[in-house]
Amino acid sequence: MSFSPDTIAALATPAGTSAIAVVRASGPQVAGLVSGIFAETPLPRMARHADYRDARGQLVDDVLFTFFAAPNSFTGEDTLEISCHGNPFIAQKILEDLLARGCRTAEAGEFSKRAFLNGRMDLSQAEAVMDLIHARSERALAAANQQLRGSLGRHMGLLISQLVNILAMVEAYIDFPDEDLPAEDRQSVLSELKELAAATKQLIATSHYGELLREGIKTVIFGEPNAGKSSLLNRLVGRERALVSAEPGTTRDYLEERILAGPHALRLIDTAGFNLAPTPLEQRGIEKTLEQAAEADLFLWVIDATRPLPGLPPAVAARLTTANTIAVFNKTDLPPAPRGALPQDFPVVTICALDGAGIEELQTMIARLADSFQVETGDELIAINVRHSHALVQAQQALESAGQKLSDKTDTELVASDLRCALEAFGEISGKVDNEKILDRLFATFCIGK
Amino acid sequence: MIYSKTPFDVIVCGAGHAGVEACLAASRMGATTLLLTGNIDTIAQMSCNPAIGGQAKGQIVREIDALGGEMAINTDVTGIQFRLLNESKGPAVQSPRAQCDKKAYQLRLKHTLELQPNLQVFQATVTGLIFEAGKVVGCRTNLDVEFYGRTVIITTGTFLRGLMHVGQNKNEGGRLGDFSAKTLSASLLEAGIELQRLKTGTPPRILGRSINFSGLQEQKGDPEPTLFAFHDTRGAEDLFHVELTGERRLGWTPGTEQVSCWMTYTTPESERIVRENLHKSAMYSGEIAGVGPRYCPSIEDKFVRFADKPRHLLFLEPEGRNTNEYYINGLSTSLPFDVQLDLVHSIPGLEHAQLLRPAYAVEYDFAPPTQMFPSLESRKVENLFLAGQINGTSGYEEAAAQGLVAGVNAARKVRGEPPMIIQRHEGYIGVLIDDLVTKGTIEPYRMFTSRAEHRLLFNHGSAELRLYEHSNNHKLLSYNRLSRISAKIKAVEYWRAFLETTKSIGGTWAELIRRSDPKTELPAEFLGQTKEIKAETLYRVKYRGYLEREYRQIEKLKDVEKINIPSSIDFLAIPGLRRESALKLHQFKPQNLGQASRISGVNPADISILMVLIAAGKRSRGSPGIA
Ligand SMILES: Nc1nc2c(ncn2[C@@H]2O[C@H](COP(=O)(O)OP(=O)(O)OP(=O)(O)O)[C@@H](O)[C@H]2O)c(=O)[nH]1
Ligand SMILES: [Mg+2]
Repeated sequence: MSFSPDTIAALATPAGTSAIAVVRASGPQVAGLVSGIFAETPLPRMARHADYRDARGQLVDDVLFTFFAAPNSFTGEDTLEISCHGNPFIAQKILEDLLARGCRTAEAGEFSKRAFLNGRMDLSQAEAVMDLIHARSERALAAANQQLRGSLGRHMGLLISQLVNILAMVEAYIDFPDEDLPAEDRQSVLSELKELAAATKQLIATSHYGELLREGIKTVIFGEPNAGKSSLLNRLVGRERALVSAEPGTTRDYLEERILAGPHALRLIDTAGFNLAPTPLEQRGIEKTLEQAAEADLFLWVIDATRPLPGLPPAVAARLTTANTIAVFNKTDLPPAPRGALPQDFPVVTICALDGAGIEELQTMIARLADSFQVETGDELIAINVRHSHALVQAQQALESAGQKLSDKTDTELVASDLRCALEAFGEISGKVDNEKILDRLFATFCIGK
Repeated sequence: MIYSKTPFDVIVCGAGHAGVEACLAASRMGATTLLLTGNIDTIAQMSCNPAIGGQAKGQIVREIDALGGEMAINTDVTGIQFRLLNESKGPAVQSPRAQCDKKAYQLRLKHTLELQPNLQVFQATVTGLIFEAGKVVGCRTNLDVEFYGRTVIITTGTFLRGLMHVGQNKNEGGRLGDFSAKTLSASLLEAGIELQRLKTGTPPRILGRSINFSGLQEQKGDPEPTLFAFHDTRGAEDLFHVELTGERRLGWTPGTEQVSCWMTYTTPESERIVRENLHKSAMYSGEIAGVGPRYCPSIEDKFVRFADKPRHLLFLEPEGRNTNEYYINGLSTSLPFDVQLDLVHSIPGLEHAQLLRPAYAVEYDFAPPTQMFPSLESRKVENLFLAGQINGTSGYEEAAAQGLVAGVNAARKVRGEPPMIIQRHEGYIGVLIDDLVTKGTIEPYRMFTSRAEHRLLFNHGSAELRLYEHSNNHKLLSYNRLSRISAKIKAVEYWRAFLETTKSIGGTWAELIRRSDPKTELPAEFLGQTKEIKAETLYRVKYRGYLEREYRQIEKLKDVEKINIPSSIDFLAIPGLRRESALKLHQFKPQNLGQASRISGVNPADISILMVLIAAGKRSRGSPGIA
């Protein structure tokens, strides 16, 4: 099989759970990386201690690195393994630097795929490799989707639609020179382009580190009005942070507090209670709750045990799984109503927010979910964040170069060529954008056709 | 009766732009070929606008010439107006366009077919196909004569159950004055080929003598015409197949005695007429089921969808030198005849215009093209090829390109050789066919430069060079022309390297060209080259950075493009493939990993899994799929 691969890099150990993180790179560029980063001639299978300096000469960490020469490596290609301190930021920095030096982030299971294609695994292992690719891609997909459901997704949607607009404006004048189009307005294209480049730049600044790693696991407390959500937040925070009253609808806006659950940092968010027939004012609060729920990692569903089980807004229900939700039955000091069947088999904790009974059990349960959660997606998230910011940087560069050309009065098709590079880069984050979209926009905007 | 016990190698059904190229390609490759047409007098008829080329299409025509087709040269010698579109932009998006003499175009092509060795032309309407064991073996005709062929190419355009609409008036037929092929659809359905409906339209034709040209804006041809055929690599033996026989040729020196087109606009009165009669339009009264093209809207559509546009541009285009008929480009409609008359009279210059033929909309069957292999052979029926509008495309150029490819591949199939597949990065023809077979289409498909991810490589002047591998491998051109092209490729490369490495004042020549300020004239030896060599060399030098970016992207994709997916693979049974991808792959049946990766919803992990599976299948030397 003809197979002339590029050099790939990825985290080889889950992030945030061990003292040491390993970053691995494989491909023809690896020997050059060793001499480039560590100023050493690569010697096979020798663990070397060295400072890792990024492309700008900044010290990142002191690391152990080992070079494996082809074909005597896991993948059968030249391979480099870098062991750094387990801090996820360091691993991320190293990965980013490898990309800046010309590597590309490995796809799900790509190291194993290369090992197989290069004959380092026998036929009987093919199925195992396929399973692994599948499992890892499912996890990566889940992690990426989770990010895209949040603010990143909304931002990307806006950026892409802006870019498609601009492209339609540019392409119309290339493909339809004989049509009666309004005079080409490079100035307005340019100003839209500048806006887009600025928005991209801003997104790069905010998406630089994984929210999950930097800010903690986003945990949303939700439930009916008066179920005791604010009381629970106060219990977990350990002080009277939120207003509590016997009046339903006390909390109208969400509020956020940071806590620790075992080794994990949590962003705990109290929300306005939802009911399924809200007043207009309540409706506003509920919308905010739904927004929070859309981006949450963990859910604490507070249920007033003295009342029948309430229904859930479909948007929230759709996000809940047995791995990310705890059903918290509150007010167990009072006589309970018959307990209705939960929509899924969520783990259940019974508490009394008034006196604190059951809170410790709840904390243990939160830590347990957070554990599996971070092991599940932590390393994928790093990979995704690195890939995303890499793609965004490429997009931004392409946009700026297009803007330059527009002001220089360079040929339109070269402007379009840059814009398409940017679109391609955006597509790496949120899925390929079909060419057809540009044509759709073009035909909707301009009266084309003789 | 059976016409002959010995089957033809290739039978082509339909003599439109696809059929003509198909039968020429097959017969020129040495296959014994039969062309069946319902009417010999309408061979290569331009049912719509008598124009060839335009954006992206102009490049396609040059590609057709690079692959030995006839459309380019036929246009050159029967063209009555030539214009290079986008002249103010870069070479990649400049496209030649020509207005042809409709009758001369047809007659010259008919003559070419008549004189073509290995080709037999016969007038008969194909009424059905003959199948044997899941393969096509021939066709039946209205004369009750059966023809047998090793391969059959269907190029029936809009004739399959064609239905024309003028307001509420309906007539069966694929074109005004012509018939409708009704039973052939049944035959295709019987073979398991799915059919759907599309719609297209054409504007009214008027008498030139009744047009008041004073006050209309004139549009002249370019004084220096940009031609479609590559005349620089043609020798006498490649010139006109017709002249070589010593017969008197039809046609003239390209670019001589050009005629003008004229521009006018609709008025508020036109808009009022259309709006008040919308309910009588076949399109707007729900008479038409087929989907029409967005890029070629009817005048009804233009007024309704772009209500804020005060007026719409129309071109009056002469249909030939020896006729006074004019085509009103931009006024396609399915309004009733009396409304059309009022509408035409509401337009400046056409106040007293006399209608020769009404505008009409036509609905027809097409076979969704995802049912074909990239060779244009049907996946369902072996030896059956489809080309042109039957595949859901629109445009003479798109049709001709497919006809050429189908003709070449039918001939190759007969010889037991693998098909010619033009890749997406090699030319518009590659993009066209790849789009059709991997994505399908829901409206009549027309080529745009924006459909091609590598359009910067597709400047029209490079068509012959880009496609040399195919023309040479499949011997689609004469030996002499191939060696001239090969020499041209070498010359361009030599001069490119020369300009890149030779120093002048202030840098290499190439650097000066890119800064577009050579202080002195370029070297005399270079300036002594042909204008084609100079233009191509300068393009490659000036745009080097962009072209290299394209080459890099192509290089990245090449690996997956080369990995073929065995046809025996069962996507639904592959462990680990996501359900969504498996279903999509099963539906579109890609032939290589490159195609698979272009299917929306198929992600890199799915491609990785396929790659491992295929490698495992190869290593075990058994059939793919892991037991
Ligand atoms: N008996 C009893 N009362 C409780 C318990 N937890 C909370 N409450 C009372 O329930 C009422 C509502 O409590 P909050 O914490 O304000 O409830 P909430 O869910 O935040 O309500 P909203 O913000 O209005 O949606 C208050 O009067 C609390 O004192 C509990 O475990 N037992
Ligand atoms: Mg509250």
